Amino acid sequence: MKFLKLVLLACVMIGLVVPSISLAQTAKFKIGCALPLTGVFGRDGNLVKDAYTFWAETINAKGGITVKGKKYPIELLFFDDKSDKAESAKLVERLATLEKVDLILGGFGSDSVFAASAISEKYKYPMISGGASSNKLFERGFKYYFSTLGKATEEVRGCVEIVQMISPKPKTAAIIGSDILFTSLACEGFKQYAAKEGIEVVYFELFPLSLDDYNSLLFKVKQKNPDIVLVGSHLKVALNVTKALKEVDFMPKLVAFSYGPTVPDFVKSLGKDSEYVVAAAEWAPNLPYKDTIFGTAKQLNDNYFKKFGRYPDYVEVASIGGALVQQWSIEKLGIVPPVKEADRVKLMEELHKVDAMTVYGRIKFAPDGANVDHPPIAVQVQNGKLTTVFPKDAAEKPVLYPAKPWKERK
Amino acid sequence: MALFIQALVTGLLMGGVYAAYSSGFSLIFGVMNIVNIFHGELIMIGAFTTYWLYSLYGIDPFLTLPISMLTVAVLGYIIQRVLINRVVEAPPMISYLCTFGVHLILANLALLLWSADFRTVTTSYSGVGFSIGPITIPIARLVTFIIAILTTFGIYWFLEKARYGKAIRAASQDKEMARLVGIDIKKVYALTFALGAAITGLAGGLISTYFVIYPQMGLPYTIIAFCVVVLGGMGYIPGALIGGLLLGVIQALTATYLNSGLSVAITFILLFIVLVLKPQGIVGKGIVE
Repeated sequence: MKFLKLVLLACVMIGLVVPSISLAQTAKFKIGCALPLTGVFGRDGNLVKDAYTFWAETINAKGGITVKGKKYPIELLFFDDKSDKAESAKLVERLATLEKVDLILGGFGSDSVFAASAISEKYKYPMISGGASSNKLFERGFKYYFSTLGKATEEVRGCVEIVQMISPKPKTAAIIGSDILFTSLACEGFKQYAAKEGIEVVYFELFPLSLDDYNSLLFKVKQKNPDIVLVGSHLKVALNVTKALKEVDFMPKLVAFSYGPTVPDFVKSLGKDSEYVVAAAEWAPNLPYKDTIFGTAKQLNDNYFKKFGRYPDYVEVASIGGALVQQWSIEKLGIVPPVKEADRVKLMEELHKVDAMTVYGRIKFAPDGANVDHPPIAVQVQNGKLTTVFPKDAAEKPVLYPAKPWKERK
Repeated sequence: MALFIQALVTGLLMGGVYAAYSSGFSLIFGVMNIVNIFHGELIMIGAFTTYWLYSLYGIDPFLTLPISMLTVAVLGYIIQRVLINRVVEAPPMISYLCTFGVHLILANLALLLWSADFRTVTTSYSGVGFSIGPITIPIARLVTFIIAILTTFGIYWFLEKARYGKAIRAASQDKEMARLVGIDIKKVYALTFALGAAITGLAGGLISTYFVIYPQMGLPYTIIAFCVVVLGGMGYIPGALIGGLLLGVIQALTATYLNSGLSVAITFILLFIVLVLKPQGIVGKGIVE
């Protein structure tokens, strides 16, 4: 009996000692993130996951985050929110309480991030998102939420202002989009900028994400025969609308999407049918951005291709930019893991002061958390490649206008 | 007027798509009294079979259809033999749970294998159509429409006239008597399931050419199939065609003259009305317990 007790005691002691040994050996930054890895935003969410992984691996290859001369590797923890906002909020709560992560990274999709950031605010975790941009995210007076993207209504500016480079200028537009937070705001943005450009909106409709029958919707648009069609979309809606445009045999002179075509799958799955499509972007590899970690925008683009066999979408680079400024702030403040609440408060204050040049471009957060500086870029699919066509000083090639009707294409 | 006719045509073609992927659901329900919750996954697997054969080997989507049918039929046969046969005579809740479990397994397996990417089959003739006056008709949808009609009549004829079809009907009408006259019920069930799965796989292959496909696409399809089959009458084979066309046309007219949001809601409003007022379906030949 005595022997048994001794064995038991030894076990308990080993149990107590072992974790502390392992902790002492591997002080890491445990960083968590809830992302839509499945469901309607599954593809988009996986892109952001790749982006964070790319960031962490690049930093870890150099030994980790350097604080006061010491290196602390990054350990990433991803949870799948299944494209469900309630799930996203629940998972962020889990990261903050159960997993006790040091830092939290922003997810994807305005609805999910809207819910999740309310939780991170509660637990005083700074959250920088590169995949959510709805205006409402910034209207809550939050102190811990930041975004490297511009606001949704402004994000689509380039898609409309591109008409300044076109002659004769289009006169009419149809605006359609799914009725969720980001895309409906993108449609509002389209409307505002169209009015500024003197374009008459002849058709406007928001539809649910679960819509099956895109053809009926686009026949109605076709009936109005607008010069341009502006679509508030994510990847799936962008794919559906492009396919339906072909089925109803209607090609406006210009068709632009708020999001979707910059995701590599768009061109890959639609092939030649993706030609002429225009999309909003906030980053392009030909822009003169650089930093000490990832080099120039072009180098990042190439290195990304080496790792994933595809080029990054702007949302991915925006996510990397967010992770990077958080990392720099930690290094500057000398915060080491485990990160305490007081550290996170300091981190939040520091993030409000950040004004840094990154591979993603300049990052400086306004008091509401939105990034102040973001060029209104528009890209167009030309010969199977995303080509920057707006603004003029960043354009690689002029915009192809008008788009060729379906029947005249080979 | 042109818009009205166009809406009607679009609706009928969409209805053909609904009918194509719902008739297998109706057949399986009619014979076995099983609400197959993994029906959408059968569509998904049919669609992915076509997708992979096209993208890996460049086989034309229409030529892949027999392979899609066969793949899904074999899968359906195995699942029926191994799993569903054990619960087919149990209370309905057990079979719901069982098919729901299979739904989760198949959807997540597909997710693991193929990731959450959205895919679509884009051939040189994808989205191509022809015009009659101001009316545009996409060819792939017209083909689906014709196939939906052919399969509906094919199955109807098979059940009414063919010897094996009669055995299937006998088994669905009176299991005990069928057993007494020497019909191997379990075999009949498995073959029915395989047949239902085959036409579902065929529909999956067809839709991959004009819809976006992804591993988790299944459940919405199951829900629509359920609505279509309730509209047309549960277990009444031509009901899927009638329900599908009706739903397609009503949705298209709603989307055209009211708005697209309402066209989605109308599906469930119709389902509700039919369940309350006419649970045997529009033509009144469905099975009601």
